[in-house]
Amino acid sequence: MNDALLGIIGDRPATRTIALAILDAWPDHARYLEKSLSARTVSELQTTELLAQAALTLEGARLPELAANYRWTCDRLREEELFFHREGRYRLTTFAEADAEVYSNDAYMERYVDGLLLSQVMWYNHVASCTYYFTQAPGLIPSDAKMLEIGPGHGLMTYLAVRDFGLSAATVWDLSPVSVEHTRSALARLGIGSVNCAVRNALSVSETDDKFDFVVLSEVLEHIEDPAEVMRKLRAIVAPQGLVFVNVPINSPSPDHLYLMRTPDEARDLLRKTGFEIMSEAMFATQGMKLERALKNAVTVSVCMFARPV
Amino acid sequence: MERSAITAQLTEIMIDVFDLDELEYRDDLSAADIEEWDSLSNIRFMVAVEKEFGFRLSNSEIESLKNVGEMVDLIERKLA
Repeated sequence: MNDALLGIIGDRPATRTIALAILDAWPDHARYLEKSLSARTVSELQTTELLAQAALTLEGARLPELAANYRWTCDRLREEELFFHREGRYRLTTFAEADAEVYSNDAYMERYVDGLLLSQVMWYNHVASCTYYFTQAPGLIPSDAKMLEIGPGHGLMTYLAVRDFGLSAATVWDLSPVSVEHTRSALARLGIGSVNCAVRNALSVSETDDKFDFVVLSEVLEHIEDPAEVMRKLRAIVAPQGLVFVNVPINSPSPDHLYLMRTPDEARDLLRKTGFEIMSEAMFATQGMKLERALKNAVTVSVCMFARPV
Repeated sequence: MERSAITAQLTEIMIDVFDLDELEYRDDLSAADIEEWDSLSNIRFMVAVEKEFGFRLSNSEIESLKNVGEMVDLIERKLA
């Protein structure tokens, strides 16, 4: 293993285990991992280890396959990057297209979901965004908050919140019954059995529905054809003193990303123009690149915002 | 187009894409020599070359390039 990479990881065994597995499957990825890990603060390295432990708890038994699927996923993402920089747009624009190519393709989804799980550990902007959420949310959300996460994936954001945020209740929603079952199973393996997991379309909410104190949408809005419509609807179920956390990547081509935002202001407007006031925000570019340079080169930036209803 | 003109244009592209203050061109320059040259910036480099010289690179052409000199050879062939 690359000595420099080993030195950066230090005494973080889960991170080391995953990095080694990836390098076994993809030796040429060493330089990327070294750069990604060297950009991290101590706090971000601690989050990395926490996420690595969770990833190993979820899928550690099939780590070599997971690492191979991470490489496969990165290959797909490079194809989307090439299209994006050539054409200046995301390849797909409708949910029907993404459903046909990705969500309804079981073989594709199995590899893609594995790849995304390891990206949560190994990509700088993912870990930095998670660290921001993990360190800022406890000081911003009400005590005994009722939390709702929409589009939870492996459920890692809900897992961290249930573990550390002093919630009174947690609920997750997804459109897909398969995804809901996947999240329920993942949370159970992480030792979190108390989460209400439901098949629910965020567009179906109304003023009479139960209110939530903390609503989380992490890497969800870019998968939706009209994310502003979703935020306008969700405004109705955020409690008056409640908070939303939105993490949305800009300039982020991916096989199932539909809604392209090119600037931080376009991401902010998703909240400002739909009934929210941004309380706190942070931005994290791929590989820890400086924001100005990332925006100039249309490189992915994760835009994280805590906002309250106004 | 003269090879020297191609290398001059390529050097300007690399300075811009890899955010360099300056760059002394060599045929054997590769990703190992430039810290900012990684798999993602390589895509932007390839697309910048396509736009500058007016042709499309195939995936196999992109994957087979080992250094900048091979890129200049490829550009010469494409423009011939």
